[in-house]
Amino acid sequence: MKSVLIARRLIREITRDRRTLAFFFLAPLIVMSLVYFALLEPSSARVALVTEGTMDLFRYDLERTLEDEPDIELVSPDWELPEGYEAQKASLLKWTRSGEVDAILYLNTQLLIDRFDGKPGTVNLFLEGSRPTRTGAALDAVSSAMDDLGSAMPVVIEASCSSLCANSVNNEAMDLEKIYAYGDEDLDIIDFFLPVFPPFFVFFFTFILSAISFQRERVTGTLERLMMSPIHFADIVIGYVMGFFIFASVQASIILGFVLYLIDIPFTAEQVFVLVIITFCLLLVGLTLGLLASYLAKNEFQAIQFIPVVILPQIFLADMIWSIEDFPKVFQVFSVILPLTHANQAMRDVLLKGADLWSIADSVGILLLMWVVLVAVMSLVAKRNA
Amino acid sequence: MLNMQQATVKFADSVALNGLTLSVEEGKVFGLLGPNGAGKTTLIRSLMGLQHLSEGSIRLFGDMLPGSASSRTLIGYMPQLYAIYDQLTVRENVRFFAELYSVPSALINDRVDELLHMTELDNKADAILHTLSGGMKRRAMMATALVHKPRLLILDEPTAGVDPILRIKFWQWFRKLCDQGTSILVTTHHINEAEQCDDIVFLRAGTMIGHGTPQQLMDEQQVDNLDQVFIRLAEQTEVQA
Ligand SMILES: Nc1ncnc2c1ncn2[C@@H]1O[C@H](COP(=O)(O)OP(=O)(O)O)[C@@H](O)[C@H]1O
Ligand SMILES: [Mg+2]
Repeated sequence: MKSVLIARRLIREITRDRRTLAFFFLAPLIVMSLVYFALLEPSSARVALVTEGTMDLFRYDLERTLEDEPDIELVSPDWELPEGYEAQKASLLKWTRSGEVDAILYLNTQLLIDRFDGKPGTVNLFLEGSRPTRTGAALDAVSSAMDDLGSAMPVVIEASCSSLCANSVNNEAMDLEKIYAYGDEDLDIIDFFLPVFPPFFVFFFTFILSAISFQRERVTGTLERLMMSPIHFADIVIGYVMGFFIFASVQASIILGFVLYLIDIPFTAEQVFVLVIITFCLLLVGLTLGLLASYLAKNEFQAIQFIPVVILPQIFLADMIWSIEDFPKVFQVFSVILPLTHANQAMRDVLLKGADLWSIADSVGILLLMWVVLVAVMSLVAKRNA
Repeated sequence: MLNMQQATVKFADSVALNGLTLSVEEGKVFGLLGPNGAGKTTLIRSLMGLQHLSEGSIRLFGDMLPGSASSRTLIGYMPQLYAIYDQLTVRENVRFFAELYSVPSALINDRVDELLHMTELDNKADAILHTLSGGMKRRAMMATALVHKPRLLILDEPTAGVDPILRIKFWQWFRKLCDQGTSILVTTHHINEAEQCDDIVFLRAGTMIGHGTPQQLMDEQQVDNLDQVFIRLAEQTEVQA
């Protein structure tokens, strides 16, 4: 097995290069922490309070209650509320869409009538919805203010009311109805994004590492010396995959461990096992694609150009941050050939929906198929060049 | 050992080898001389199957094709560039190539030590390559090219950018290796130093303009050094053209 020889040499070379090693293992952690905090830290949301009819009378108390909430900023735009519930609702949606505020809390006369009737009554919250962190902040603040809002509501106790009657005062919690201008009520933002970190980093780093080392091997002429020696080209490729596999596995374990630690969802040993399998498949694809890229490149500059060419489309089109459904059909079709599309899909299925190996077998199958195709293309290109 | 018939290599905008017919015997130090761009590297690369011929044919060691598995194990190659692993130590590099060429593991240690000793790198054996001087790198490369005891050692400009003392040593090593049975094919653009070759070919713009022993060539041109031979030969071919 000459490939073992190649693998061992690569491992040696890389362990000597401390900076690359640090970059390889620390960079993902730093970036993940940044993204984590960026998504975690609730930005303060601008919330407007709109009252109507008799509710105007209690506006002052309600405002005091909302002002006590830390993550929102109470704003009071000078809107003209039209007459009639439906017209009001339309205006409120329009205002929400304008982006002037992140949320509008709307309380109307009907709420008061319901409360007096002993019903819980409904508070309407209009949410802009496109910026998950703001939406989350508004939602959190309003939910936590709901009880206080309830107590800020008037109670009517008739003079004839006995103590028994006074006890029957409506203290039911009010219903909160959320109306989204854009998007809808989604998963927790962080939980939704965390699963795509491991595939992205594993793919990104293995691709770069293998593309650059192979390019260096070509440029310095050592590849030619290898080709001159009694070794098969396939052995070189396998050696590369084996050598980098060690680093990529350690890196993947660190990233996976970090994500599993951060994620707010219970997971099982089986899930972790499935994650390892997905990561492994992706790693094979990333490595081989890196080799192919540097094989197709004529010089270092061309090799570096492959990095954005391969990575950027996947950031946008592999359902990482932006939903692929928002893109035109052409892109949706295109996204099928991107390895990260399948890896992300599988990671989310496993981590968020608790899928087992069998239910993500198709994603794993597609990734392995991609790998086989890449190896075939690679040998064809190598043969053509030989 | 080496037989070329009408070997021609054309690139998009140049002809690097122009119908070269040449045969070289085994057991000699053979020098391939010519200025930069003469086609020396191209010739060597086509011997190893790294460069395809546009026309003509090459046979090695009788009837082996360039690049064939059997011919590859018989050749040791030291390229013009520093084609060696910069992050490995000298010893690790030599070992790597020994294992690559399937030197039996029982023999590897001795073989590596022997080569490090010959190239006078014993005390640098565990130094990482990128910490070494250019001359030391060249010596390390020579050691990696010799690990599998090749029948033919091909060196492309081994003395380029090397200090005079080491250049003399290199030629001594070539002679010694040749005496021990390794044929040597060496290119250089320092034409005078090729006086130590048994057989030389002058190459200019892809064409062979002279072939013989250094003494023969000097006698023919009635000059006393090879630089002068080359200048005369170059003038003559220009007149013919
Ligand atoms: N890959 C290539 N593509 C195009 N031209 C080349 C290539 N390699 C060499 N040449 C040309 O062939 C000629 C001979 O080059 P080379 O064999 O490297 O010369 P030498 O080794 O004697 O200095 C030069 O004119 C060079 O420009
Ligand atoms: Mg050259």
